[in-house]
Amino acid sequence: MHRATDRSSLRRDTVLFLVCVTLSVGALLTPTRWTLAFANTIRETAFLPLVLLQQRAEEGRTSRGRLREAMAQRDSAALAAQSVTGLRVENERLRLLLGLSTRQAGSFVPAEVLHQSMPTDGRTLLLSAGSRAGVSAYQPVVAPEGLVGVVSRVGPTSSIANSWAHPEFRVSAVTADGAVLGIVAPSASTDPSLNVLEFRGVAYRDTVPDGTLVLTSGLGGVYPRGIPIGQVKGVRREELGWERVYRLIPMVNPGIVSHVLLLTSPADTSAPAVLSDSLP
Amino acid sequence: MARRGAWPLWFVLGVLTLLHFYLRPRVYTGQGAPDFLLLALLILSIRSRPGTAAVAGFVVGLVADVLSPARFGAGMLAHTLVAYGAAWGRAVFFADNLLVNAGVFFVGTWMRNFLVLLLSGFAAEAVFGSVTLWFTLQAITTALAGVLVVLAIRHRVDFRLEE
Repeated sequence: MHRATDRSSLRRDTVLFLVCVTLSVGALLTPTRWTLAFANTIRETAFLPLVLLQQRAEEGRTSRGRLREAMAQRDSAALAAQSVTGLRVENERLRLLLGLSTRQAGSFVPAEVLHQSMPTDGRTLLLSAGSRAGVSAYQPVVAPEGLVGVVSRVGPTSSIANSWAHPEFRVSAVTADGAVLGIVAPSASTDPSLNVLEFRGVAYRDTVPDGTLVLTSGLGGVYPRGIPIGQVKGVRREELGWERVYRLIPMVNPGIVSHVLLLTSPADTSAPAVLSDSLP
Repeated sequence: MARRGAWPLWFVLGVLTLLHFYLRPRVYTGQGAPDFLLLALLILSIRSRPGTAAVAGFVVGLVADVLSPARFGAGMLAHTLVAYGAAWGRAVFFADNLLVNAGVFFVGTWMRNFLVLLLSGFAAEAVFGSVTLWFTLQAITTALAGVLVVLAIRHRVDFRLEE
């Protein structure tokens, strides 16, 4: 009798295990756009209390540090603002002389990064702002130091961003002096100290010295021009004598960034003033 | 020690969930921080039947996949396998020893991270390279947190530790 009960329990365990495995494998094989929509729905309904709890904790952790930082930035901004009026008038006069239209002002939505304990955290980031705050897909995500990634999925109160570490991440880039154009993409590294990007598509005749700052070029219509991406650190490889691929040390580590800005301004404008301070 | 009732275990699991979503982001969210949710799953798994553990693993994996969707389904499969393995391991060869429990927490966390990276399509060089360092560190911190939790609840929940 006991043996029959044991056998029945064993069979039930195996069935439950196989059902769970089948459902998991099914989820793995389902197209990404369906699974992301499904995840979005659950995150905004059943798991919303967990997201809000984590958001509250994150705000509590960073609020004191951010207040000090904000006060320091406010003091610097107040000092810099003294010369802004004159520069703005001069800029408008010059644009008028050149026949250019009025410069559009950039805007942004601030958000907390809600880090998870999974090893894939940093590749995708859960952000505490959603469509209710004005966030939409393909908006660039930046930190004061530079580019973090791009928004991939948006819910009413939260959104998912793909960071520069995501394998699908690509951005059109240019060196700070505007001389060399290329494409920046993530690169896997076995060196624990180097989680890096690649600056690809640089013509063999062009040489980019170490330490050169690489910015977004504004081409492609997603990222505005002038957002710092990283600094060149050596040649990673050469492709058959016609292209050099440079190693790029990113300006931002998505694994530890806690507060980001989502740029809501049109893509044809340059980076907002908050980023121009980080330029050399 | 005799088991005094099932509620303390659920209470412990609830507290661990709260630690994961409130204390952890408040203190430190770096890659080496302990994973309290996985710890709760492993504690539950080594006290449950393999089928129950697999279902619990699936649910915890769903939470992980929804909140960090690098590859939807990877977390579910990894947590299901780890929880089922922990439940079977306990039934087959695990002694009721604090050190063995710490070992289960370490191996469980390490295997979960390894499986998630592998199923998420990370390049082999990344899985065996820089990332390994971080998830080994997380396995160590989770095991240490697990030992503290087991010591704290040993008189409330039936862990039958060797005296």
